[in-house]
Amino acid sequence: MYQSFIGLEIHIQLATQTKIFCGCKAAFGDEPNSNICPVCMGYPGVLPVLNQEAMRMAYVVARTLNCTLSPRSVFERKNYFYPDLPKNYQISQYEHPLGRDGFVDIEFHKKKRRVRIHEVHLEEDAGKMIHAGDMSLLDYNRAGTPLLEIVTEPDLEVGEEAEVLLQQFRRMVRYLGVCDGNMEEGSMRCDANVSVNLSGGGLGNKVEIKNLNSSRFVRKALNFEISRQKDILERGGTVVQETRLWNENRDVSEPMRTKESAHDYRYFPEPDLPPFITDDAFLLEVEKGLVELPAARRTRFIDEYGLSELQAEFLIDERSTAEFFEHTIALGADPQSAASWLASDVKKLLNRRGESIESSVLNPERFAELLRLLDEGRIHGKIAKQVLEEVFVSDASPAAIIKAKGWEQITDPAELSEYIDAVLKANPNAVEQVRAGDAKPVGFLVGQVMKATSGRAEPQLLQELISSRLAVKVIHVLSFGGAISGVRREDGLIGPGELFDLRTEFAGDTGLPAELRLEEIQLGAFLSEEIAPADWAVLISEIARRIEDSEAAGIVVAHGTDTLSYTASLLYWFFGKARIPIVLTASSVPNDSERGSAKPRSEAVANISAAVKRAASGAPGVGVVYGAQEFAPLNLKFERVEEGAARAGVFRTWNEIGGDSNPAHLPAPIYPAAGVEPTDRKAVQTALENAMSRCFIVKAFPGMRGDHLITLMKNGVRYFVLELYDTGTASVRETPYSLRAALQYGAANGVSFFCTSQQEAMVDFADYVTSHELWREGAIPMGRLTTESAFTRLIVAQLGSEDELEVQRIMEDQ
Amino acid sequence: MLTFWKNVLENSPDAYEKAVRARDARIGSFLEFNPTRHLGNAPGEVASAEKHAVLAGLPFGVKDNIAVDGFRLSCGSRILENFNSPYHATAVQRLIDAGAVPVGKTNLDEFGMGSSTDNSALGSTTNPWNEDYVVGGSSGGSAAAVAAGLVPFALGSDTGGSVRQPASFCGVYGLKPTYGTVSRFGLVAYASSLDVIGAISTDLDVLQAVYEVISGADPFDQTSMDPVPSASHDADAAGVASLGYRGKSPCLGVLKPEQLELSAEVAETYQTCLEGFRSLGYEVKEVSLSMLEYVAPVYYTIATAEASANLARYNGVRYGLRPDYAENPEELVRLSRDQGFGAEVKLRILLGTYVLRSGFQDQYYLRAQKIRTAIRTDFEASFGEVDMILTPTFPRQAFRHGGEDMSPFEQKQADKFTASANLAGIPALSFPAGVPKGLPVGMQLLAPAFGEPRLLAAARDYATLYKPELAPGYERPAGEQ
Repeated sequence: MYQSFIGLEIHIQLATQTKIFCGCKAAFGDEPNSNICPVCMGYPGVLPVLNQEAMRMAYVVARTLNCTLSPRSVFERKNYFYPDLPKNYQISQYEHPLGRDGFVDIEFHKKKRRVRIHEVHLEEDAGKMIHAGDMSLLDYNRAGTPLLEIVTEPDLEVGEEAEVLLQQFRRMVRYLGVCDGNMEEGSMRCDANVSVNLSGGGLGNKVEIKNLNSSRFVRKALNFEISRQKDILERGGTVVQETRLWNENRDVSEPMRTKESAHDYRYFPEPDLPPFITDDAFLLEVEKGLVELPAARRTRFIDEYGLSELQAEFLIDERSTAEFFEHTIALGADPQSAASWLASDVKKLLNRRGESIESSVLNPERFAELLRLLDEGRIHGKIAKQVLEEVFVSDASPAAIIKAKGWEQITDPAELSEYIDAVLKANPNAVEQVRAGDAKPVGFLVGQVMKATSGRAEPQLLQELISSRLAVKVIHVLSFGGAISGVRREDGLIGPGELFDLRTEFAGDTGLPAELRLEEIQLGAFLSEEIAPADWAVLISEIARRIEDSEAAGIVVAHGTDTLSYTASLLYWFFGKARIPIVLTASSVPNDSERGSAKPRSEAVANISAAVKRAASGAPGVGVVYGAQEFAPLNLKFERVEEGAARAGVFRTWNEIGGDSNPAHLPAPIYPAAGVEPTDRKAVQTALENAMSRCFIVKAFPGMRGDHLITLMKNGVRYFVLELYDTGTASVRETPYSLRAALQYGAANGVSFFCTSQQEAMVDFADYVTSHELWREGAIPMGRLTTESAFTRLIVAQLGSEDELEVQRIMEDQ
Repeated sequence: MLTFWKNVLENSPDAYEKAVRARDARIGSFLEFNPTRHLGNAPGEVASAEKHAVLAGLPFGVKDNIAVDGFRLSCGSRILENFNSPYHATAVQRLIDAGAVPVGKTNLDEFGMGSSTDNSALGSTTNPWNEDYVVGGSSGGSAAAVAAGLVPFALGSDTGGSVRQPASFCGVYGLKPTYGTVSRFGLVAYASSLDVIGAISTDLDVLQAVYEVISGADPFDQTSMDPVPSASHDADAAGVASLGYRGKSPCLGVLKPEQLELSAEVAETYQTCLEGFRSLGYEVKEVSLSMLEYVAPVYYTIATAEASANLARYNGVRYGLRPDYAENPEELVRLSRDQGFGAEVKLRILLGTYVLRSGFQDQYYLRAQKIRTAIRTDFEASFGEVDMILTPTFPRQAFRHGGEDMSPFEQKQADKFTASANLAGIPALSFPAGVPKGLPVGMQLLAPAFGEPRLLAAARDYATLYKPELAPGYERPAGEQ
């Protein structure tokens, strides 16, 4: 077993107005050699004058990285000849850097790590030399720009961690306002060193890698380098201590042309600058420069506002977005809706218009007003989206817009009742049918009122008013195959069928509320093991439409037992935040009790009855009812038990996640982060088919051939749900009978592996060397989620994004 | 004489220029001379001009390693032969503000490296007292110009004695101020922790005014500072002997001459001088500067180390000499430096690179820094007992051109009296003390940091005993009828 050690040297250009030792403008993109003067050009006789602001920023960064701040830091000359270095020495720090012994905490795939900061020192940047044909051209605009170097200890293990650290670091310096963190433009740069050795052997021979101008290249280059060094060691060779360049076109590192002699920088203290001594006033300025950091802010957002990790992550990414969000909350907006609007519609609009949140006409006041109008029901969701767009177009407040456009909803019960009265009067037959127990005409009546109000009636209120006027509560029962609606054939086998007639079966059921009106909708006749993406698309679009049109006060889904755990979790990821109850139920046997007999009611009838009751009175969101029990929609497991002569099935839930049906304790639903309109059946079907064609569930077993997974990947599988042993173990030995080859092939080809447990364990890769190897190879732990729940989450995640990293982020946000 | 100098540029610049050119054809003190280029520059700070009215209108020479806008800044080197300065050094700017007029750039040992001015790549300067003899260095052009009556004062730079030693060779006053009191902005660096701009003159009033004008903190040099006033300075300025010092006689530290390896003429003059001070009422007390023998090696270790970095910027890329053709940037740099630097400069760059090599720093550079601290401590201890220390400026008089009298190695060893002041950062003044066998001898007074007024006062006292002679043939200023 090998160990790898990675250390980073990060350079950031400090965003000062002027250069570090002269008054020249520190700016990019200007005409070459336009921001220069005798000092930064190294003319004879000139002297450096230290930029106090650069020093302040440098100390702020060091302080933020938990460094010990030097009360006295010293500049030194680092001597080397290069044409882009005007003085042929660089003023830098060596023996007495401004900060030492700090740390930064990172987390990759649930593994936390404290990375020690060796030192932080300030220096001047060099110019740029460009080779053009047989000429060498020099631009000294950059020469003398303040450059802060942060050196970590070799505490990182895999390239992904380096990538995480860099992304976190970039966000930190942007928050501090000391650098824009742009790696492509070079205002943030990174060199990495990496060594590999046998476990327990300490650091190996160090190789430095340069030319890494994005955090993605850092990850790729490091992982390439780790495997290159492993290969060398495995063949009995020795890794040459050298500097290599990352070739981003070929995805390989190549040895840098080595100069004949090693560099001897001949450091000595810079006699032109006195040592920098920190005084109380300076340290006070440094303290003032500290801000709440992204990580702390993320935690606070989660705790204080009850946001999900992903929501918090999105909000804190840019300081301006986070501040916009908090400003909006301070104006009384609901954190949840503010967060989800910012992450979806606002973001989309800003992207489309190429604007940033701080420069756009949408200010927190207007945004809070929009949310308030929505919250008060004066507009509904669809109109709100239009209003938002209109804010950008007409630079007006949402209230003014809905007034001018006549978009305001009718939320006054008295006003709405007038419309309802008129519709009921005009449709006496429909009213009569409802009174007689038929639920169908309710939807028709609702539609008529909507038509009469030109769609301005607030749907929820309308539903409530009509229900109370007619004294009915409408529950839609969607029949979605399975034995619950099946029939027992003459040969004794159970086959698909239609759901029994509810009104007949429930006649005389005194447990049901009198105003209940049930409507049965047949969505399919199949056994639940036969479900295909098209079936789920029908189910999703039918539910979505009912929620949108407020046709029902609750929905019951009658389902088979075999795949209930899939459908329940799928619906939860989609509709977990729905404002009406959506209750799934099932039965392992059909309703074969004889009608009208005195025999106890069948399991099918009993379960649907319980589900209807739950839908009529229960909490909004997705739930599962089976037998006398209520279950959370996640982590369900169907099990067969022998009960005397009869064969019966029971459900239970795995892990704590399902033992508690309180939705507040479940991972948050991930829709509507998705980009698909759920009422559009065709679109949902296409999206599901695409997503599912890229997914595969694999269960680890002894002697499993990892290369078979490569075949799957070659056939388009991009995401695996890997059901491993215990807390996440599997063989990663160097044999064909392990996952190693598959994981490595996957890592090189952008394939993700989401890991669950065969043994009701929480997967965290914590306990075994095999687990750690899996983590090293990039496998992603799914924590408490079961295979089924992880799989459906994966499908819904893909509706939100086709980007592999984004899908990974959604999957990890539990 | 001062009246003549104050009016010469206004009254007869052409005659002056002609006279200077005629005299300097023999001496070779100026590399560039143009008395009218900065004439008519309005004095900047009126306050400064009034306070130092003595300087108003005076022409002055500037060593060619100090920047004067509109003049070249060659440093006596091929590599900067055609480099024109785009700015004024702070010291020059302050003198201009006080009404003085820079008239030309004086010759020097290349980048200030030498004790004869014979290490200049751009001209040869000779001693006004005897043309067979060197003028001293590295500020030889400035000393010669003053001694030959071409200007009433000139700026020089002093890294290890480069103002004081040529002043001594030419029979004029040379002041090296406390390190940091004069801004180095515009002084081309040789050894940054030792370099200081100093002044050369035949007139102590002028010298004092120049010092007062050019000293003081400068935002463009973070190592610069205002002289720290001390209670004794008023007494210093008023003259030591006349007033007494701290209520008692001023006390002069002297060294045992037999340990100093002096020439007979210098040894004799030293003896005469200390007796002279005694006769003026000074108490004379023997001190032992035990670190003196380490001064030259320590000085050359630190100076060359810093020089190796300071001179790295001359690579032909942005300015200065560059070859007509080079295969690549590396070759361009190599050829520029090979063709641009003289032998002494190359020697010192190599020495400096050597002492800074990693693995050798403990042995050379860091050890030198420790001894430097010891030297400073040594002086501090001495100044606890005496007010000033009197030493010869140089162990012998001017030597002849060509290194027959004194090899380059001997010249370096002979820097110990002067270089000690640079290592300790303290002020020192070389004053004329006699002209045995037709060549001047200078003596050096050393004082604690910011003790310039004390040095000038003592020199004034001594001038009552010995009035400095001017070189034969140069008794009158150039152009005076």
